Amino acid sequence: MSEVIESKILRHRIENIGSLPTVPETLKKLSRVMEKQNVSLTEVAGFVQSDPALTFRILKMVNSAVYGFPGRIASVSHAIMLLGLNVVKGLLLGISVFELMQKAMTGLYEHSMGCATAARIIAQKKGLREPEEAYVAGLIHDIGKVVMALEFTKAYEGALAFAETENISITQAEKKFFTDNHPVLGGVLSEKWRFPKKLTEAILYHHQPRSAVLFPLETAIVHLADILTKARGLGFSGDQIVPIVDDAAFDRLELSEQDIVDVFHELEGSIEAAQEVLLQ
Amino acid sequence: MIKVKPDNLQPGMRLARPVMNKAGMALLGEGTELTETWIARIQDMALEGAIYVEGKLEMEVPMDEMLAALERRFQSALGNTRMGMIKRAAERHIRKLYE
Repeated sequence: MSEVIESKILRHRIENIGSLPTVPETLKKLSRVMEKQNVSLTEVAGFVQSDPALTFRILKMVNSAVYGFPGRIASVSHAIMLLGLNVVKGLLLGISVFELMQKAMTGLYEHSMGCATAARIIAQKKGLREPEEAYVAGLIHDIGKVVMALEFTKAYEGALAFAETENISITQAEKKFFTDNHPVLGGVLSEKWRFPKKLTEAILYHHQPRSAVLFPLETAIVHLADILTKARGLGFSGDQIVPIVDDAAFDRLELSEQDIVDVFHELEGSIEAAQEVLLQ
Repeated sequence: MIKVKPDNLQPGMRLARPVMNKAGMALLGEGTELTETWIARIQDMALEGAIYVEGKLEMEVPMDEMLAALERRFQSALGNTRMGMIKRAAERHIRKLYE
């Protein structure tokens, strides 16, 4: 087997994501906008409006039945005002990594969409004030995998195959090929893009929600949403088996069996609608 | 809820989601019963994608296969109470999809 890819190399690639040849231009530009400290609403709106395809997609997304205001948002700045800057940043990222995700790993996008939708449904059930933040966390929770699979394709294929033959999780299999795993790299990216700590923690600890000290509830939501998406078999995340849910995270959410059935039910209805918005 | 192509709409079908125009504006609300006039209008606009109407989904994968895959996905979770609950919920959900 080839050598293990060191943390230093991995982080260096992420730090310089803007210069990676595999990363599309839109994402590079977006990344530059998001890295700025105190980026304003006007700047983000300006960036989006400079790209008609991006404008079209984001308006289509926020006007779809998936969000609370179908057919009522006509401008990008209105969308940002209604949804908040961080949610729009996350959606933009989701839209921009869409093709990248498809390329990196078949099924990863479907998995991410499923997790995003499930996270929002659970957040609503738990009465969180900003369920869209949970949606964004779910959408990009596996962003670390995208970079790993695109930049170290061979090693990542090795990890995927290893997970399958050994019947272990992809997170465990990654350890054999990389010194950092996908949640850690996702956390690094989230910080680089100046996402709020809430989002960074949810990405970083979605496989070990006990470590989340600041936002245990939000992290528990993404953790469970990920597991439910795998349980339902939506998309492909690299896991052939459903990882065991963390006891404390699961108990924190206080969901009954019926609640979980309800989440699955809602997930079924909204996932297709959400995918359609992006695929067109 | 089922997805129907504009060409396959039938009068009497009831919308499960609003119908949007290309700009994302809602043209017909959820719950609208489709008439021949509405259907003609939807077809004229050559809307992309599908229209959602009320009804049961037609599943591509047979239920037994779906349930067998569920068993495989949970093979290492046997004996875990919480995973047992998630699995039962998933199974109830899947069975319901085929009712």
